[in-house]
Amino acid sequence: MVQNHRREDHETGGENKEKRPKFFINDHVDILIEILERLDGRSLCVAASVCRLWCTIASNDSLWENLCFRHVSPPPSSVRSVVLALGGYKRLYTGCVRPVRSRLGRVRRASWARDEVQLSLSLFCVDYYERLGGSNSNGRLVEKSSPSSLMFLCKPVNV
Amino acid sequence: MGNSPADFSQLASDAILYNPSDLACWVDSLLTEFAEPPPTCSSDFIVDPVNNQTVVNSAWTFAEPHTPQVHQNITYDEQQSLDNQLTVVTAMEEDSGIRLVHMLMTCAECVQSGDLSLATSLIDDMQGLLTHVNTVCGIGKVAGHFIDALSRRIFQGMGGGSVNGGSAFENEILYHHFYEACPYLKFAHFTANQAILEAFDGHDCVHVVDFNLMHGLQWPALIQALALRPGGPPLLRLTGIGPPSPDGRDSLREIGLRLAELARSVNVRFAFRGVAASRLEDVKPWMLQVNPKEAVAVNSIMQLHRLLGCEQTRNSPIDTVLSWIRGLNPKIMTVVEQEANHNQPGFLDRFTEALYYYSTMFDSLEACRIQPEKALAEIYIQREIGNVVSCEGSARVERHEPLAKWRRRLSGAGFRALRLGSNAFKQASMLLTLFSAEGYSVEENEGCLSLGWHSSPLIAASAWQAVPAWDNHMSSS
Repeated sequence: MVQNHRREDHETGGENKEKRPKFFINDHVDILIEILERLDGRSLCVAASVCRLWCTIASNDSLWENLCFRHVSPPPSSVRSVVLALGGYKRLYTGCVRPVRSRLGRVRRASWARDEVQLSLSLFCVDYYERLGGSNSNGRLVEKSSPSSLMFLCKPVNV
Repeated sequence: MGNSPADFSQLASDAILYNPSDLACWVDSLLTEFAEPPPTCSSDFIVDPVNNQTVVNSAWTFAEPHTPQVHQNITYDEQQSLDNQLTVVTAMEEDSGIRLVHMLMTCAECVQSGDLSLATSLIDDMQGLLTHVNTVCGIGKVAGHFIDALSRRIFQGMGGGSVNGGSAFENEILYHHFYEACPYLKFAHFTANQAILEAFDGHDCVHVVDFNLMHGLQWPALIQALALRPGGPPLLRLTGIGPPSPDGRDSLREIGLRLAELARSVNVRFAFRGVAASRLEDVKPWMLQVNPKEAVAVNSIMQLHRLLGCEQTRNSPIDTVLSWIRGLNPKIMTVVEQEANHNQPGFLDRFTEALYYYSTMFDSLEACRIQPEKALAEIYIQREIGNVVSCEGSARVERHEPLAKWRRRLSGAGFRALRLGSNAFKQASMLLTLFSAEGYSVEENEGCLSLGWHSSPLIAASAWQAVPAWDNHMSSS
């Protein structure tokens, strides 16, 4: 946003009597992406409901990949293909990483950051496996199509 | 972060609101969600009103039509009344609860001494007393199950049991819901997987033998961990043992196919083999087709205790199985067992232990709010209770023994303990923190991990390795 204002000043300072269009962030998608990359998960979701363009950008998986590994040193490149095969980073973040982080936040130790992501990844994999089962014609076995193995993550923390 | 109100309003002209009338309260709910929420706050994601649900949906997942939060059968109102039910325990109920426990013990004593007429009248009294006690939770619920088991023992004789009462299909479903409702099985799987992963380090051909495949829920996480291990994944072979399925369904093969699909998605070379056997002692090592060049891991989640027949003969099933396991020369054998002493010869001792153990377990289950997982998990535990209390001889398969006894037994059979590392402990602690109840605790005990509820251990995980043979076993050098 700091960049934004500087540009605005420059433009209006030069020819302030003419009818120049105001600076509109949607015309500068590269800046927009830079900004959105730095948001936290909640803000990213809020941003995604602003307009169609923001929605498209915010659903780009690489933004969510950033979020997942934000406080962790970059993972080996093999992780990406695995995560994409299991459903993508946005699903990983919203389904596993965010609940895991917020639950563990109360007892967070700095050394746990990487382990949190690894645990999230394992839970994510179990979830994917159960979703696989949903497509089987197994009768009563997996009637409910929504994954159940992550239900415990979505439950309210009951002290 | 550009979230100031000014920026927001500037963009409002180009905004598309999914549900204009509810945007304000939806944003409110998002903003309050990350403050330390009171228990009621969660209902924002659970409550029925369709408007709120669609708004939440579109915020969190655009492409997918559903989110994990959608699936909740209990509405907010029901939740409130359940909470109230749980917290109100009158003094009279407490007294009745204590009386129930006393009567249960007396009844068990009568059963042991053979005084069946007194036992029967006690059963009637207890069932009368049950009507005064809250059977939705607490001692009333557990007592109800024990009363049922006792009466089955008295009236149906000791073969009548729940062990053969359920088909394999039913058992799998109950097991699955037990997996979802409480952390015991998750703890077992994750701890065993961590140990197996560490044991497989450096090997390119690995073979896992699972003594009870069920739905194969343990293996996705291992497959994923192997896919991401530095140096690349090995060739993974999995042999799953399970009961034969009736009416032509091959459930083992179906699970194998699912696991294979997962492995293919993450680029792990995978081969599955199913061994159908109704009892573990019917399995012979040649059925597993172990290759001498591969690293073998044997995984037993609550299966070994089923082999402890009451007769301590030389060739009891447990000795046979342990010796052929040793013959496979596994790199690691992971053993997870209930931490309980339910195999004592005296009925009263067994009954007392079981009452204490399962009360604790039901206590821990109270914190689970998801239905039908909770109800089915309770049925799963109820079947165990039924087997421990009302069955004898070969029908009684739930012969739990504590970790100390397993240590002696396994050491005597030529195994030595491997320490579960700090990684396993850390992972277990993290996993528990995720569960909604705060009573769970992980403890480390001479290299083994145990999970308990309020410092009563309920399940223990350990890892073993075969000591190199010194007698003339047919094992590889």
